[in-house]
Amino acid sequence: MLERSRAIVRKETRELLRDPVYLGMAFIVPVVLLLLFGYGLSLDVKHLPVVFIDHDRSPYSRDYIDGFIHSEYFDFIGLAEDAAQADHWLRSGRARVIVDIPPDFARRLTGNRPVAVGVTVDGSFPTRANVIIAYVTAVSTQYNQRLLSEYADRLGAGGGLAQPLTMDLAVWYNPSLESNNMVVPGMIVLILMLFPAILGALVVVREKEAGTIFNLYVSPAARWEIVLGKALPYIAVAFLDYLIIYAMSIWLFQVRFVGSFWVLSAGALLYSACTIGIGVMFSVLMRTQLAAMLITFLTTMTPAFNYSGFISPVASMDAVGQFIAHLIPATYFMGMVRGVYLKGLGFDFFWSDLLALAAYTVVVYGLAWLFLRKRIG
Amino acid sequence: MWRRLASMVKKEFRQLLRDWPILFILVWAFSGAIYVAGHAVRIEVSDYPVVVYDLSRSAASRDLVARIRAPHFKVVGLVDSDRSLVHALDAGEASLAVVIPPDFERLVAEGAGRFQIIADGTITQSSIMATSYVAQIAARMNLELFQARLDLTARDLERLPQIDVRQRVAFNPNVENAWFTSLLEMLNMATMVSTLLTAAAMVREKVYGTLEQLLVSPLRPMELFVAKILPTVVIVVVLSFLSLFGVVQGVFHTPIRGNLLLFYGVMAVYVFSVSSLGLLIAVFARNLAQAMMMLFLILMPMMFLSGAFTPPESMSPWMSYASLISPMRYFMDFGYQVLFKGNGFTYVWHDILGIGALGLAMFGLSMWGFRRLYR
Repeated sequence: MLERSRAIVRKETRELLRDPVYLGMAFIVPVVLLLLFGYGLSLDVKHLPVVFIDHDRSPYSRDYIDGFIHSEYFDFIGLAEDAAQADHWLRSGRARVIVDIPPDFARRLTGNRPVAVGVTVDGSFPTRANVIIAYVTAVSTQYNQRLLSEYADRLGAGGGLAQPLTMDLAVWYNPSLESNNMVVPGMIVLILMLFPAILGALVVVREKEAGTIFNLYVSPAARWEIVLGKALPYIAVAFLDYLIIYAMSIWLFQVRFVGSFWVLSAGALLYSACTIGIGVMFSVLMRTQLAAMLITFLTTMTPAFNYSGFISPVASMDAVGQFIAHLIPATYFMGMVRGVYLKGLGFDFFWSDLLALAAYTVVVYGLAWLFLRKRIG
Repeated sequence: MWRRLASMVKKEFRQLLRDWPILFILVWAFSGAIYVAGHAVRIEVSDYPVVVYDLSRSAASRDLVARIRAPHFKVVGLVDSDRSLVHALDAGEASLAVVIPPDFERLVAEGAGRFQIIADGTITQSSIMATSYVAQIAARMNLELFQARLDLTARDLERLPQIDVRQRVAFNPNVENAWFTSLLEMLNMATMVSTLLTAAAMVREKVYGTLEQLLVSPLRPMELFVAKILPTVVIVVVLSFLSLFGVVQGVFHTPIRGNLLLFYGVMAVYVFSVSSLGLLIAVFARNLAQAMMMLFLILMPMMFLSGAFTPPESMSPWMSYASLISPMRYFMDFGYQVLFKGNGFTYVWHDILGIGALGLAMFGLSMWGFRRLYR
């Protein structure tokens, strides 16, 4: 009985090996992507071009501007003559933020009075806008703190007075806040979502287009044997992909890894089987390779990127967002990958994630089995 | 020439419009998929999940905790032991923990109060932002404590030598994320669909052997290529029109400030550009599976260098040089400038030049490759 599945596995494997370009790409593309994202993708927003309109031109205003220049987050691109020029720079993208210092800046501060500083931020990229606002506030808060303690000193009040409250910060799981510790494990989840699904999406539909599917229809192999035989070689390819990416993450990117390799691998195997299954399901449902590819891409990539918890915690999403998050397998595996790599958690933490992945896997293969009709028409 | 081209174009259109599953998927790509992406949160901090471990249980600690609130934070629980704090962070139920020591109130009164926050560093940018928000909260509280200590009234407080940052966000006053993401997804979809559709249309002829038939017909390679690109341009422009007004503006209320004629004119040029890329790949691929892998190899870096992940100014030098050969980079810049900022031709002419030049280069390259392989 298993023999028939084995025969199909052998046939699929041979077909894969005979298209070395395709098979090679199945390994090369994920590696290239990981290299690119690992070395290039920094979600850190730095070097923000800032322009000042300094109507005051006093030592005080220069001191305030210095706070920006000395921060690694801003790149000083110049002083604008007037608002129109600054506005033009903001429009053209030469500047992302304008800081407008009023003419009475120094006079008000030395007179112990508050002063309003106008900050205009380019909102066309909201993430960047939020980060800019946070950085501007941080620079200003620091300056304010200094003004306040000087003021306190002038009043003759003691040192602790100006700062009765101190915040101590501890960062867990990724103490150096190294961007790669976030990006590289996250990429494992995304790569193992997209590529296996796309590989799986072609396995059945390709035979439909070529007409060779009839060989399978008339063969004695049962439907589940066909589905299994087609999926297994690709699960092996996906798992190999995982091993390569894992090795790169450890040796090349030096990602912090405090958990168990075996726990991670068990999860990866199940996850690969699941994502291949998603592809196979669409492959059974669709009639053309293009349609299978498109729908697989649409249902895997965008949701996985946005909702799996890759760039923002699932717990911070609204009800609709959390619903979508729990609908996709990437969310469960993302929790596992970060948990193993950075938090060192074990099986006891992941059994519900593994269960969800297993259920997902059963469902997609079940659907593939259900819709694979050995009939013409 | 025109008659040959017209009949070929007619055939391509028929082939595309007959394939209703594809049409259905394309409509979804430009509506549902854009909604899903637009609805997602990005890396800024909103409703960031926090647990509080308050050992002080005093008025001062309650005052501090009350300030950690929406829109940035959401207190998801109060814990009463180290173990449950660790568990909340381990399980990802919370991404930030606030720990307030037992003698907090007394120390604050003495001018030496401390509290601790523990940030989950797994999502780096979010934790940096979240901690900076808590630091702001602490700074504000400091100021008020200072006021209380000196017995200053609220009016006096307003008269301290302090900088008051009055921020204004141009083009997107409420920093609506969906305005950006929905538009981004539309541009992404246009890119992906254009390359894929064109590449598939070409590879199909190869696989079925009908390319040989076309080659012996009077049709010239140039005409064949144009006929393959034209239906893609038409369908992608029409679909993006629907998604721009149906979803981007209709659902997310993104303001569209620019000149639509300019936008769609350049969009057509852009679709021509990336379709040429699809053709180039199709010339070298033997089957659709290969073509798709090559597409990913090129499209992913392109999307990645487009400036939507890392803003252009934050890119490392090699990245910003590499991005110069990605038509997407110019189109992103163009799209946001025109639709969002309402900028005119004088601001974006260099983007148009980049898109056009790269398009012509890729079209020429694919013609050259095709001639070499089939003549």
